[in-house]
Amino acid sequence: MPDQFLYATEVFINGLMAGVLYALVALGFVLIYKASGIFNYAQGVMALFAAMTLVGIMNGQVPFSHIINAIFGTEIHHFGWHVPAFLAILLTVGVMVIFAWLVQRLVMRHLVGQEPIILFMATIGLAYFLEGVSDLMWGSEIKKLDVGLPQGGSFWIEDMTAGLGSDNFYGFFIDNLDMVATVVAALLVTGLVLFSQYTKQGRAMRAVADDHQAALSVGISLNFIWVLVWSVAGFVALVAGIMWGTKSGVQFSLSLIALKALPVLMLGGFTSIPGAIVGGLIIGVGEKMFEFWIGPLVGGATENWFAYVLALLFLVFRPQGLFGEKIIERV
Amino acid sequence: MNDMTPEGYTTADGRNIGGVVMEMKNITLRFGGVVAIKDISFDIRQGEIRAIIGPNGAGKSSMLNVISGFYNPQEGEVWYKGERRPPMKPYQVAQQGIARTFQNIALFEGMTVLDNVMTGRLREMKAGLFSQAIWKGRAEREEVENRAVVEKVIDFLEIQHIRKTPVGRLPYGLKKRVELARALAAEPSILLLDEPMAGMNVEEKEDMSRFILDVNDEFGTTIALIEHDMGVVMDLSDRVVVMDYGKKIGDGTPDEVRNNQDVIDAYLGVSND
Amino acid sequence: MAQPSQATGGMDSIPALLQRNATQYGDKPAYREKEYGIWQCWTWSEAEKEIEALALGLINLGVNEGDFIAVIGRNRPYFYWSMVAAQSVGAVPVPLYQDAAAEEMAYVMDHCGARFAIVQDQEQVDKLIEVQEGLHQLEHMIYVDPRGLRKYDHHKLHQFSHIQDQGRAAREEFLDDLKERRAKLNYDSICVMLYTSGTTGKPKGVVLSNRNIIEASRSSSDFDHLGAGEEVLAYLPMAWVGDFIFSIGQAYWCAFCVNCPESAETMQTDLREIGPTYYFAPPRVFETQLTNVMIRMEDASRMKKWLFDTFMAHARKVGPAILDGKAVSAWDRIKYKLGNLFVYGPLKDTLGLGRVRVGYTAGEAIGPEIFDFYRSLGINLKQLYGQTEASVFITLQPDGEVRSDTVGVPAPGVEIRIAENGEVFYRSPGTFEYYYKNPESTADTKDSEGWVATGDAGFFDKDNGHLRIIDRAKDVGKMADGRLFAPKYVENKLKFYPNILEAVVFGNEREACTAFINIDLTAVGNWAERNNIGYASYQELAGNPMVLDTIQGHVEEVNRSLADDPMLSHCQVNRFLILHKELDADDGEMTRTRKVRRRIVEEKFKDLITALYDGSNEIYTETEVTYEDGRKGSISATLTIRDAAVADVPDMKVAAE
Repeated sequence: MPDQFLYATEVFINGLMAGVLYALVALGFVLIYKASGIFNYAQGVMALFAAMTLVGIMNGQVPFSHIINAIFGTEIHHFGWHVPAFLAILLTVGVMVIFAWLVQRLVMRHLVGQEPIILFMATIGLAYFLEGVSDLMWGSEIKKLDVGLPQGGSFWIEDMTAGLGSDNFYGFFIDNLDMVATVVAALLVTGLVLFSQYTKQGRAMRAVADDHQAALSVGISLNFIWVLVWSVAGFVALVAGIMWGTKSGVQFSLSLIALKALPVLMLGGFTSIPGAIVGGLIIGVGEKMFEFWIGPLVGGATENWFAYVLALLFLVFRPQGLFGEKIIERV
Repeated sequence: MNDMTPEGYTTADGRNIGGVVMEMKNITLRFGGVVAIKDISFDIRQGEIRAIIGPNGAGKSSMLNVISGFYNPQEGEVWYKGERRPPMKPYQVAQQGIARTFQNIALFEGMTVLDNVMTGRLREMKAGLFSQAIWKGRAEREEVENRAVVEKVIDFLEIQHIRKTPVGRLPYGLKKRVELARALAAEPSILLLDEPMAGMNVEEKEDMSRFILDVNDEFGTTIALIEHDMGVVMDLSDRVVVMDYGKKIGDGTPDEVRNNQDVIDAYLGVSND
Repeated sequence: MAQPSQATGGMDSIPALLQRNATQYGDKPAYREKEYGIWQCWTWSEAEKEIEALALGLINLGVNEGDFIAVIGRNRPYFYWSMVAAQSVGAVPVPLYQDAAAEEMAYVMDHCGARFAIVQDQEQVDKLIEVQEGLHQLEHMIYVDPRGLRKYDHHKLHQFSHIQDQGRAAREEFLDDLKERRAKLNYDSICVMLYTSGTTGKPKGVVLSNRNIIEASRSSSDFDHLGAGEEVLAYLPMAWVGDFIFSIGQAYWCAFCVNCPESAETMQTDLREIGPTYYFAPPRVFETQLTNVMIRMEDASRMKKWLFDTFMAHARKVGPAILDGKAVSAWDRIKYKLGNLFVYGPLKDTLGLGRVRVGYTAGEAIGPEIFDFYRSLGINLKQLYGQTEASVFITLQPDGEVRSDTVGVPAPGVEIRIAENGEVFYRSPGTFEYYYKNPESTADTKDSEGWVATGDAGFFDKDNGHLRIIDRAKDVGKMADGRLFAPKYVENKLKFYPNILEAVVFGNEREACTAFINIDLTAVGNWAERNNIGYASYQELAGNPMVLDTIQGHVEEVNRSLADDPMLSHCQVNRFLILHKELDADDGEMTRTRKVRRRIVEEKFKDLITALYDGSNEIYTETEVTYEDGRKGSISATLTIRDAAVADVPDMKVAAE
């Protein structure tokens, strides 16, 4: 096989893997948007917050240590223990659920029935607030996250594929973490679909997403469902946070992955779970392939803007996205 | 009305009506300065078809919304099954076994008819998440039982042919029927119908009347409905409350109400006499 | 006539067949019905118990041998059981059309003097109560669905399941009686009485014996190799002879399973779920299904549409040949297999016809393109010709000899004779006994030797020995030289072209045939728009020379196909014109159901007919018309008359010389 083709294949596979991570973030947006009509600007920050909480718990960091030390003049930073990854993840899920409950209790409940733009503004506020809280709670330095996921390229795949090309071809370089992320994302999506199709809570969630009044009349508590939805979104954010955090360290820029999710949503539509996945994959593959072929011609760094240009094209020619509902204002 | 006792009465066509299930005592409901309902009292008895009628703006819908918990009145008491009901959220009222339909239809448009009707069973689903996750034991048993109830309702309302159709694609008349099906699936102790015949043609109205009577006859469901089509109401109901400008102006059998001077005035206009 | 003991192994009644099936096929499904979203199933031994319980209940209720029991409901196992239970106790089941009005029911119930009626629900009970005054013999009603009937007076009204319960309770008491009654049944006992909805006059009660039903079922099942593994969907009216033969006669003879749909509206879904192997539908059902497919394909994506069009074209080319087992090139076979994978298979499954091994249509002419569509998909759709009086089967198309314009060869055991005037007569073991309480009609229809007049005119195709039905016998005339003139046959051939809406063919007592044509404004208008031909009215379009050319092409094509028919080659259309107005019910030229009133057309357009036969090329005419608002007016036009080429008929020439 010609090497050029093999290189392209490698780029393609890597693109798919990157796309999975984009899709994970986009999924969080779609969940909340479908159930409550809120575009949750804070989704990215939630991923950051979740990842920081996870690192903090694992390392036995004392939350709000700066404030505590400032007020009481103490010098405590660590409890002095390390929490195993699995337990820490469970605790973090707990924190995300509490967060969801607080958001619902303190913010969203008071905004029921408001214009979408107001709700959107509220989530912007929430994003900045949460960012500040993260810093206060866990400090703002870059942290390393290691929950035991494999990292680095897979030698096995490299060895297996090295023979495909000429002597200059060393085999596919595929990141182990990306493969894990793909499996995790697939499990997560399957789980979410099964949950929403077949469980009582899932059915109730779909009901609320469809019609609030009708949902009330069959005995569904909207508050409960919204807490549930925010919790699920928090969980998805945690998964995304773990993946991205393991890859590139837990730092402020993590919250910017939310910006990458925007073009994914524009491609896939704001209301479609399959759309978020396909959109993520298209963006991932698209930007990697574009960089591979066109990048060298224009001086590289196309990955920074490719996704947004693609999204722009979609906004012009197919505003509802690939899978979204037709945008028709009902009278 | 013959034999009106605390235990109940027997209707003209021989049905036995039981004791009081729900009682509204001196209900007053205000929106800001506007009084929507003023000091109204009436009761609903086990197994009867109870209608609330009145001209537009009489406060019928507000009354229904008070019963179903969408509004909580400023004054007065709601008694349900012999207990005073504290102020409640609509979903709590629904969980107590009071199901309703809406004048403008509130269905889950994106779901199939079957899924819509299944949501009527949500309050019967009690299996834990774990049981649901492994799909064994209680969850599996519940799903089968609930589906059986739902299929009986689907058969009863003759909507088998649209079982798998998304509700959004159905015509108006069928949507009304699906909404009734969803309410019935909850096996409610009181079924509230908000203008069940609104926007229907004569044939559809006849169908709906037949379904309402059959539901009451077959399952013994207590039904409270509001409607402004007088003819339909008089044929259907056992007892009728008449409202005008937020006040109760009549209460009794259709015949009694028909001959009530206040009612005649309200419907025909006093100037006509 | 065949003796039961030889051909049918002593199985000389339906209840006897039931006993055999319950023993031999006890665990095999006999009935299925979709209810509450699930297919409920009864095996043959379960069905036998249900029927026995009902039969005992009927004895308990006082049913005597020779009583008539009306059965009114949609296709449900309960009603099939009712008929067999009625037979078991020596009574005669009389299935009625459930959608009949109360008065129609009253006539039939009174005519047969039914003492009992087994009905579906409140609706049917109400109808019977409405006419009860006039029905002195009606004693008891049994209903299946109790809904809404709770408050009714139950002195003479019983719930089906209660009758069965009483039957079970009284089993000890009546079982011997039941066995005795069953034992008395033989080939000559009445199996069923079916009322034919005659187009004229009152319905006639056709009495069919066990011999009729069992012989017809046996020979037709053999003909198509039907076995115990078949699945049928029972959805056609139970009062129709076809349903009785398919769902009781053949089903009991072969011991196959009868599936009942959930409701009339869910029939299409149920069909898909069951996937019958043996299927009957009137042409209009096939037509509607095809239309639905075409509409859906219009909305399909371009890719899908392309796939569909490409493979359907291929299927039309080779599908029927493959189905008939003729030689087809290997490449075409591979392509067809591919098409089956992508298009035909999925399409057949959506239609619910994926498993059909034997499919029949009958009742009226089916358009050749509709017929070929299904055949080309690989569905073995065939035609049969039948009547209530024949226990359905007169002719059947054998596998591999299927054509859209014939109805097949005489069914096994059926003799056919064509009378001087073209009318088809038959004689068979399935031939009915008599019309109930109507000896005159019986004598009119069935002669002393057992020949029955069908009322249809037809002839046997010389090439393959298949019968062709051309028209109702009374509508067939004679041409001047005495040969058959079958206008409807020719008109139907013309009307199969989408451009031709209506055609009226003349030729009775004349030397040659001529025709009036009405073009189809939608189809031809569409064509005109695509070709930038402007027109303001029907009249203008009808007069367009290019339109005349097109229609002339159609007429000549019909002539060529007629030339292949030795019996009808002389009915070729020599001259024709396109009418300047559409034939209209408001002007009395058609009935409200859009059938041409030939006599009025002949009267009204006398001048045009004259012109068709006097050789002129043009004719000026004025016609009175009624506008939609009821005003009268008149339109005038000069019509062109065209000569159509008449195809040569080689062997007929010799005969004519």
